[in-house]
Amino acid sequence: MIPVLLGVCFIIFILFSVLSPDPTLIMLGKHASKTQMMELRAELGLDRPWFIQYFDIVRSTFTFEFGRSWSTKQEISEMIKNGAIPSLTVTLPAFILSSILSISISLVVSFYRGKMIDKATVFVCVALMSVSSLAYILYGQMFFAFQLGWFEISGYEEGFPNFVPYVLLPILIWVVLSIGPDVRFYRTIMLDEIYQDYVRTARAKGLSEKAIMFKHVLKNAMVSIITYVVIRIPFLILGSLLIESFFSIPGLGGIILNAINSSDFPVIRAMTVMSALAYILFSVLTDVLYTVVDPRVRLR
Amino acid sequence: MSDTQKSKSLWYHAWESLTSDKMAVVCLLIVVSYFVLAILSALGFVAADYAKEIGPSYAPPSSEYLFGLDIFGRSVLAKTIKGSEVAMSVGLVTGVISMIIGVFLGAVSGYFGGKVDEVIVWFYTTFNSIPYIMLLVAITFILGKGIIAIYLALGLTSWVGLCRLIRGEFIRHKDREYVQAASAIGGGDFRKIFKHILPNVLHIVIINFSLQFQVAIKSEVILSYLGLGVQGVPSWGTMINDAKLELARGNWWQLAAATVAMMIVVLAFNILGDALRDALDPKLKGK
Amino acid sequence: MAEKILEVKDLVVEFKTDRGKITAVNGVSFEVFKGKTLGIVGESGSGKSVTALSIMRLIPSPPGNVAGGTIHYRGKNVLDIPLDQMRTIRGNKIAMIFQEPMTSLNPVFTVGNQIEEVFELHQPDLNNQQRSEKAIEMLKLVGIPSPESRVNEYPHQLSGGMRQRVMIAMSLACEPDILIADEPTTALDVTIQAQILELMNKLQVEMGMGIIMITHDLGVVAETCDDVAVMYCGQIVEQSDVKTLFNNPKHPYTKGLIDSIPSFDSTAGGARGRLPTIEGMVPSLFELPQGCNFQNRCKSVTEKCRGPHGEPKLVETKAGEFVRCFHPLT
Repeated sequence: MIPVLLGVCFIIFILFSVLSPDPTLIMLGKHASKTQMMELRAELGLDRPWFIQYFDIVRSTFTFEFGRSWSTKQEISEMIKNGAIPSLTVTLPAFILSSILSISISLVVSFYRGKMIDKATVFVCVALMSVSSLAYILYGQMFFAFQLGWFEISGYEEGFPNFVPYVLLPILIWVVLSIGPDVRFYRTIMLDEIYQDYVRTARAKGLSEKAIMFKHVLKNAMVSIITYVVIRIPFLILGSLLIESFFSIPGLGGIILNAINSSDFPVIRAMTVMSALAYILFSVLTDVLYTVVDPRVRLR
Repeated sequence: MSDTQKSKSLWYHAWESLTSDKMAVVCLLIVVSYFVLAILSALGFVAADYAKEIGPSYAPPSSEYLFGLDIFGRSVLAKTIKGSEVAMSVGLVTGVISMIIGVFLGAVSGYFGGKVDEVIVWFYTTFNSIPYIMLLVAITFILGKGIIAIYLALGLTSWVGLCRLIRGEFIRHKDREYVQAASAIGGGDFRKIFKHILPNVLHIVIINFSLQFQVAIKSEVILSYLGLGVQGVPSWGTMINDAKLELARGNWWQLAAATVAMMIVVLAFNILGDALRDALDPKLKGK
Repeated sequence: MAEKILEVKDLVVEFKTDRGKITAVNGVSFEVFKGKTLGIVGESGSGKSVTALSIMRLIPSPPGNVAGGTIHYRGKNVLDIPLDQMRTIRGNKIAMIFQEPMTSLNPVFTVGNQIEEVFELHQPDLNNQQRSEKAIEMLKLVGIPSPESRVNEYPHQLSGGMRQRVMIAMSLACEPDILIADEPTTALDVTIQAQILELMNKLQVEMGMGIIMITHDLGVVAETCDDVAVMYCGQIVEQSDVKTLFNNPKHPYTKGLIDSIPSFDSTAGGARGRLPTIEGMVPSLFELPQGCNFQNRCKSVTEKCRGPHGEPKLVETKAGEFVRCFHPLT
């Protein structure tokens, strides 16, 4: 875990300190003088030797002291706190909804494998996956929000239930985007199990197809499903960069996007570190869950 | 006297299976046509007038202007065709880059194990911890705008999945009997990797390639939206990006053209990828 | 006279494949009696497993389907009854064990749980306690030591031989009339093989069920079977009691099989000679020859076998002894 974190710090360092264009140019604008730029560089600590800058990154990673944003001058930890909730108001319900839908649909489709409903569903999933997310967002906004007026076009209001009308369309779009790949994945997993020998044994014992599906196949499929689901959770907090941008939702995704555009290095560093940390944590969590669900992996 | 049965290889079976699936053949033709169109466009045989103003601004689709015109009076049809160059080349180059990196690192890591494996696994875990879009945007930001930057950015961010799969396969295969048999007759590492194990994982590479292709096309669209896309030449991404402003005024045809053009080729690739998987993965026979 | 519990008549099973339709089982008939073991012998692809699966109606359909014949269990044709009725027979009156004990058990449920499942299905009046006790009893019956603790273990914690014993326990839990064993020992070590076969013989004496033993190994046949049917390309080519089969085989294929059993004192081919084999290969079911299916490998083949008289029919030469050959050996 630690080596990975250090590695992440290193990559961030390379990307943003070494290779990236000089942020002072962006911050001060085209007409900045050389002295102004030099002063700013010193102020931001950009003129220090590289190993000190790298060490700085590592230090802030482990202490969670991220400093202030260069562009908005806010405390980054404040920004993260404020941005997390709006992101979650979209991603959390969307995630729960799409997971329930996807697993249910794939159970049904696996049960009726080979029949029309299976083929049609797979085709629909593939078709859904073939459309760019941008198109969904643009069409969604134009059609459902603008023309039909069913949803708010963009914007956000804090507090429940105020934010509800603003997040409905984003949630819907997220669900539509996830269902395609999710159903196909779950279906593949379940079909893998259905053709295993132990299913034949279960049939030979006299079990009905439904019981086989819901008891035997599901429990075995759970192992892979859990891995797939759990590892996505950390990314929920980040929110979808695109959706937040288009719908003007003040979540972490939007923050990241702005930071990248303005070379706001501390913010970028902070967000990347946070997401890497979350990813690693949840990987460990997944491994633990594995041992709970799959007896073959349990430590004796 | 005794009839010897012709032993048909996996590839022969795969080809038979693939060509007998009408849907797959149709999709293959679609993909090929897109490639042909892109090449013709690049050579200037079609859509050469994409930049010319040929009519009034925002003319809707009609019998004269099949896909309508954009804000500058340019033919949306020509732009769409021109855009296929970017799309197909992006898909191809990205697929190749991720294939080379992914297979190489996966094979080395899975086959040799030990320290080498640890390092490579550390490397791609680190890579994976950073959200895809962030990495993508960061790299394009650094490399500047332009098509080469896109090729590199997409290629460098898409190899992890394949690497993992290949590594897993090499781990599984390297202790299999047939590899041990190769050792027994004096085969060295190099030979074992290339001659023996690699052909057995080729189907994964092919399937993954078709997947990467369409992911690349879709990602290019997102990059263009973020302003990091191709400059100068129209791409489907820039067309969709332009559509942002147009839609409010009710001009839907540029968005529609780019979306549909992309959807058709991506859908074709998806179906083709599925058909390839069914044809090539011996375990899936009979599903 | 032993009681007849199963009668298979003219069973035909077809499969639809990319390359066309094949007939995996082509007109097979036999009977199974209580307390007796019928062996079905053949190479891979002879149709023996498909025959067994048909009895349980476990043929995946598509692509397979039973195209003809009847299977009478206690007087009723199981091919005709509705599927949910068939389910009450499966695992209950007719049970089956398979070749690969490694993969035939569900890895995420305990061994005890999987045995208890059979009781849940077919003996629903039992409560948890009773089911659990019976599961332990079954484990004891099949010779698994410390069954009380084993019952909570998972399949991967048991050896291959133990897993097969568990499979046997599962199948015999409801005291079925018939046990179908599809190559039960093929995947096991030779010593374990002997133990399992011995176990099955012992249980047959104790419980009185009829056994259908499917195998390619004549050694297993000699150990366990009372009657034997030899299958080739989907047809029975010889059928008789086990002693007659070994001492006096009538079909050249059977003789070839018996001759190719290596033994220390075999004089076939001389003391240091080559192991005798049956030349050639089993023909593909897509390209069966005209006339007798065995013609290209048979040492006594004549022109008569190659087509002018069609296929040889299964003929009863003596009471209970059948052979399908134009020139049966004497």
